[in-house]
Amino acid sequence: MIQKGTLHPVTQSIRKAICFFESLGFDVFEGPEVDTEWYNFDALNVPAEHPARDVQDTFYLTDGRLLRTQTSNSQVRYGKDKLPPIKVVVPGVCYRNEATDAGHETTFYQFEGLYIDKNVTMGHLFWTLENFYKFVYGDDVKIRFKPSFFPFTEPSVEFDVKFKGKWFELGGAGMVHPKVIENMGLDPAIFSGFAFGPGVERPIMVKYGIQDIRLLRSGDLRFLKQF
Amino acid sequence: MKILRSWLQDHIDIDSSKLSDDEIADKLALSGTAVEEVTNFLDEKIIVAEIIKIEPHPNADRLQLATVTDGTNETKVVCGAPNIQVGQKVPFAQLGAMLPGNFEIKKANIRGVESLGMLCAADELALGDDHAGIIILPEDCEIGVSISKILHGDSIFDLEITANRGDCLSHLGIARELRAVLDLPLKENLLPLPIQSDTPKLSVSIDINSGVEGCYRYSCIGINNITIAPSSDLIQSRLSALGLKPINNIVDASNYTMIDMGHPTHAFDADKIEGGQIIVRFAKNNEEIITLDGIKRVLNDSDLVIADQKKILALAGIMGCENSIVDSNTKNIIIESAHFNPITIRMTAKRLGLSTDASYRYERGIDRNGPDAAIDQVAARIIISAGGEYTEGLSAIVNDLKPIEIAIPYDLIRGLIGIDISDTHINDILVRLGFQIIDEHIAAVPLWRNDVTIWQDLAEEIARIYGYNNIPRVALPISDAPQKASYYQKEFIKDTLVDLGFSEVFGYTFLSENNLKTIGLSPDSLLEVKNPIQIENRYMKSSLLPSLLKAVAKNPTFDPIMIFEIGNVFTKETEKSHLAIVTSGKNAKKIIEEAQKALSSQLQIDTELLPISELSRDELQRYKIKKPITYMIEVDLELILSRADLPEDRLKLNISDKKIKYRGVSKFPAITRDLAFIIDNKLSTEDMITEIYDISELIGRVELFDEFVSDKFGKNKKNVAYHIYLEHPERTLIDNEADLVIQKIIEMVKSKYAGELRDK
Repeated sequence: MIQKGTLHPVTQSIRKAICFFESLGFDVFEGPEVDTEWYNFDALNVPAEHPARDVQDTFYLTDGRLLRTQTSNSQVRYGKDKLPPIKVVVPGVCYRNEATDAGHETTFYQFEGLYIDKNVTMGHLFWTLENFYKFVYGDDVKIRFKPSFFPFTEPSVEFDVKFKGKWFELGGAGMVHPKVIENMGLDPAIFSGFAFGPGVERPIMVKYGIQDIRLLRSGDLRFLKQF
Repeated sequence: MKILRSWLQDHIDIDSSKLSDDEIADKLALSGTAVEEVTNFLDEKIIVAEIIKIEPHPNADRLQLATVTDGTNETKVVCGAPNIQVGQKVPFAQLGAMLPGNFEIKKANIRGVESLGMLCAADELALGDDHAGIIILPEDCEIGVSISKILHGDSIFDLEITANRGDCLSHLGIARELRAVLDLPLKENLLPLPIQSDTPKLSVSIDINSGVEGCYRYSCIGINNITIAPSSDLIQSRLSALGLKPINNIVDASNYTMIDMGHPTHAFDADKIEGGQIIVRFAKNNEEIITLDGIKRVLNDSDLVIADQKKILALAGIMGCENSIVDSNTKNIIIESAHFNPITIRMTAKRLGLSTDASYRYERGIDRNGPDAAIDQVAARIIISAGGEYTEGLSAIVNDLKPIEIAIPYDLIRGLIGIDISDTHINDILVRLGFQIIDEHIAAVPLWRNDVTIWQDLAEEIARIYGYNNIPRVALPISDAPQKASYYQKEFIKDTLVDLGFSEVFGYTFLSENNLKTIGLSPDSLLEVKNPIQIENRYMKSSLLPSLLKAVAKNPTFDPIMIFEIGNVFTKETEKSHLAIVTSGKNAKKIIEEAQKALSSQLQIDTELLPISELSRDELQRYKIKKPITYMIEVDLELILSRADLPEDRLKLNISDKKIKYRGVSKFPAITRDLAFIIDNKLSTEDMITEIYDISELIGRVELFDEFVSDKFGKNKKNVAYHIYLEHPERTLIDNEADLVIQKIIEMVKSKYAGELRDK
């Protein structure tokens, strides 16, 4: 009487996401969780004394390195020895140094995407995200895009999905900042591109009505065996 | 950042646009100003009601008893206003309604008569000062509807301003955004300084020579012979509505101007400044001050201060000191308005853990033209309410006010956004945002926009006003997928284990001192976190096993436990991807051997590469595992995969289409019951489990633990046995409640499955 086991819900949703991007020819890169300030901040046009660094409460290590606050640390890491078109998704664990409660967690997943080529437009970014969420949630899904701010994209985008009549924030995106493209060793006058990085846990919580984000890393089999 | 709609109206005529609060919120959100919440002062429970009867109050001559109807129900309320008549439509606050100022309407007994609500005057709804009579609404109002649909109440917009948009931290800033979005003009509403026959000299001079690295502009103006008093009602009520405490007409004028146009200013008591000089300089190491919040602070030479010849008067751009405070005896003041280096302010504010409304704005970059514009506004506002006469102003200037100029690359902008927009339309949007267009192709960036420096920034301005959602979508060109990354191989391993019945667990990356004791591990080889906020997050794990073993201990009701994790582990020098497998309890040894065998055959590797070990008795105790036997495997995945033979065509990602009805997990103890039934051999236990779950939300878990066919139950019959776990999300469940659910399960199985309960 063997009953099948269960994959973690985060694994399941990342798999589904990768299926979509695989069909468009994207590579999968995981990148390091422990990284330097350069890849996590400086290379992404986040200067040392910019208030943008406040938004992310960073775990610094005693050796001067840090735990990545975003999978965007892989943008320059992956892009620096490649020639366009660069097409990659980066699923991975990120960290935030904060007190935890039902809505806040130190350890969470992000799903980064990066596309660099000639003549890439915001229209490409919106098409990609819209079709991705149609693939995940079905053709009726409503997605909207709003201007936002991230130092590593210009213009920057935030995108929402309509769920049970309410807009729900999925994540950030934008056109890769020319300085980031330059840091990949590419000429921003020739190449442009987009990047996006939605969170993974929150949409899962909304989908199933999970009240406490900490359940995802609780190791509680009453929880895990439901998926 | 909170914005009052009526205050916004001072800068731009949004009321003429007839837009509702929600429509304005949407316009702001879609152009880049995130709106967290809009609160209307008029609660939904304040509705239109019709007065159908008025009687005198039995015990009070000046009160009346009014009966009102909302179309369905009639309610009696006591009313003191003389202007009501039968047939009038009036605003009626029902029980539970919140009036502006957080005043809740409750059942009241007024001079011996019960009153179940309140008829409202204008001031009670924050719609004006009128308290003389109840608001009489137009006759054609529909009764029963919320009053907010009829009357335009004030609202607060709670906005989330991104770190690059310091210029939006004021009513003027948001009005500028709306000007661009709605294409409405801004109002000219600057207060003029009154005309004086004689303007005395300022009593101090300014010296910024030792502070130029931290201060680009420093301006002062004096006001003599002022009278300290409370501010006007309007200023007090607006500040209170936004959560600022009114203090006096000097401090309030400064705060009001900051919230109005974004620029912080500070007032000193002029008679407390010694030596006739204001000096902007860096502090000396270990210089001490007491800031206005009464806290003594020790400074260093990176902190910019405002001082006189004897003492420090203020921590520049952050907070003043007690020694120069404006108090009830103050007669003469000096107002400062400056442009400080955002990095200087940020470093000091961060080091001292002192963030104020002023430092927040300086850190994010202020309007370069702000110091001079703001100082006149503060002075004019003070003179209106505190009297006095102003002195000559003085400015020490390092910066110039020349705008950044960017040649507009129209084609590149169209290309990056992906829209067909004319040059004129691009120029037009920029002008609406306050840019000047020079020679028809150069954009001069407004002095308040410190965030716009390159052409891509202009592209964002165009795109956000054009509307992101109006940009046509363009499909990505499809290319061949590259060679499959190691990610796919890891997923293959996960599937192999799940097929055997294992569940995937994600543990935390961190270890605490306590964890190290449990593991029996020295921290010497571990990566250490320098700044953990929680002590649990001190070290980085070097093995996946501790968190898996913790999971074993945490799940005593599962037997056997079969779990695994794939994740990264760390040492001072390395970050590696590991696989760990743990089995515990019934058949633990057999199960882990099966896992070992399956992996070695699927990956085509030697079983020796997947060594099994057993947890010692001592370790079982330290991990608080009650089960007698626990086995584990932990391997370096990179090593395993380098030896594996796993052709790419086997690396398909399997997607589950399992429908899941999620059940919350209770913190409270579960009640367990075992049920065994005899049912027809053909019936599916999976369907049965689903139907059992549907019986009650209290059923947390249904576990099939036995299923076998035997002739002794009759022909084609089988025995099925379940553990049923019942739990309540918010409290400990009691036996009676569990029994009721169990009874329902038995009835359901009997009627739908012709199942017969077996007595144990």
